[in-house]
Amino acid sequence: MAEHKILTEFEGIKDSRSLKTYLKHGGYQALAKAFQKKPEEIVALVKESGLRGRGGAGFPTGLKWSFIPAHIKERYLLCNNDEGEPGTFKDRYILELSPHMLIEGMIISAFAIGAHKAYIYTRCEFYEEIKWMNEAIDEAYKAGYLGKNILGSGFDFDLDHYIGAGAYICGEETGLISSLEGKKGQPKVKPPFPAVAGYLGKPTIVNNTETLAVVPWIVNHGASAYKAIGTEKSAGTKLFCISGPVKKPGVYEVPLGYPLKDFIEKEAGGLRDGVELKGVIPGGLSAPVLLPEEVEKVTLDYESMASFKSMLGSGAIIVIPKTQCMVELLKVTLDFYHHESCGQCTPCREGTGWLANIMKTVMQAKAKEDCYDKMYEVASHMEGRTICALSDAAAMPTKAIITKFKSELLNYLRRG
Amino acid sequence: MMIFSEALKEKIRSYLERYETKRSAILPVLHEIQKEFTYIDDEHILTLEKDFGLNRVHVREVVTFYSAYLTEKPKKFRILFCDSVSCHIEGTQKVMAKIEDFMSSYKKKEKELPFSLEGVPCLGVCGGAPAMFVNEDRYLNVSCDNVEAILKKYDH
Repeated sequence: MAEHKILTEFEGIKDSRSLKTYLKHGGYQALAKAFQKKPEEIVALVKESGLRGRGGAGFPTGLKWSFIPAHIKERYLLCNNDEGEPGTFKDRYILELSPHMLIEGMIISAFAIGAHKAYIYTRCEFYEEIKWMNEAIDEAYKAGYLGKNILGSGFDFDLDHYIGAGAYICGEETGLISSLEGKKGQPKVKPPFPAVAGYLGKPTIVNNTETLAVVPWIVNHGASAYKAIGTEKSAGTKLFCISGPVKKPGVYEVPLGYPLKDFIEKEAGGLRDGVELKGVIPGGLSAPVLLPEEVEKVTLDYESMASFKSMLGSGAIIVIPKTQCMVELLKVTLDFYHHESCGQCTPCREGTGWLANIMKTVMQAKAKEDCYDKMYEVASHMEGRTICALSDAAAMPTKAIITKFKSELLNYLRRG
Repeated sequence: MMIFSEALKEKIRSYLERYETKRSAILPVLHEIQKEFTYIDDEHILTLEKDFGLNRVHVREVVTFYSAYLTEKPKKFRILFCDSVSCHIEGTQKVMAKIEDFMSSYKKKEKELPFSLEGVPCLGVCGGAPAMFVNEDRYLNVSCDNVEAILKKYDH
């Protein structure tokens, strides 16, 4: 399979974050090209490319952009850099390698949707990464890529960097908007979707860091070049980050449709010596776990993952070794969602709490054997009943672990 | 009444002008206050209302919603250890137990403990699991073998 280095182009390059290096490798040329086009041509280009949101939902990016109502001129672009889905560490890699790629992608995307102001929303624990991003923004302002009349195009655009305060829910696009408005990071009811009424009630596009960073490549190489990579419905490359007991955990870029088994064996160097595979969480903690026989067959694209009733999500691959107790893993999972539920919707606030509490009684060997059936039932009532998907994100892995590891969970209780 | 330094007041004013609404300044302003005082108390919130026009209810709901804001004075060194799934698989529990042992040695020696230990959600660096922060310093691949040496650097 041909190697594609789109987002990881700057891997191994010295001083890769500086503007100087970025320019030396053809940086900001896509921006100049974009300014030769009409904004609607860029929206069409991104639509044609087949690019889908890389934050987890996989919604077609160009289509999202086209939902902005034509008659409202005050618009915003927000970059969701609040990387917090457990297992995910791929957006920070873009900041480590080439923050200018993100900036260039944001200027082009803002031009396409007619926004003159954008924010990057970054989680506060990324201390170093925040510094790198701020330095790149300063450089871009000084060099005239941000500010008034960029490259003589007549297009004005300001980019600011906003730092979160430790809340997973702000990675949800309307939660992010609430937070940027200076409020609790509670998601808002949709519709209206942010593209119609988002930040301060104005049309707002929220895109993931990786999604925005790939836009310059698409402008440079064309929609068909991007579409030629990957599968028919999952175009392009994606960053996948792998953690757990593999020889080389880290971030790797592969075309969508790449076999998961090959990714673990080749990119990540295989399992560490003596480790046997119990399962893989393929797309961040919210994605239902896959068993070893499923790992053999599944490929890294939206459709294949869906056919195994899991999801590609953020591209966070968590490898689970045979020695890992699934009761513990389920408890850790549910403690997370219980902690991060924003509390607005009853099924999520109460549901995540009930599930976490039941797991506590399991670990204290005080639970009855039918507790897992109860949990499955509670989880089923948490799906599709809330403002945002956090409740579903807690329910899905719970149901998958209960279904696929029931005998281990029961044995844990029987052993006492 | 706790008085903000001139430098902090200047920063607050610039944040109040930086965004489309004053309310958007609440998060960054609170980050600055915490940087200066290590935590945020009611007097800070009242000062923000009195001197800078930020509604106390709006500020307080932000302080209490987000886990990054502290409402009590923290220990000199906060150890934040990731206890989400990737780090858990790679040994969080064992290393946290080791840190607790290390911390209990202070009690035996009757020394004042400068550390606090908290399990926290995913820190976004799972390729280096298990991960921890000591204040703003990030450590990856923390193990029972290296954690004591890391912590001793802070209290020597």
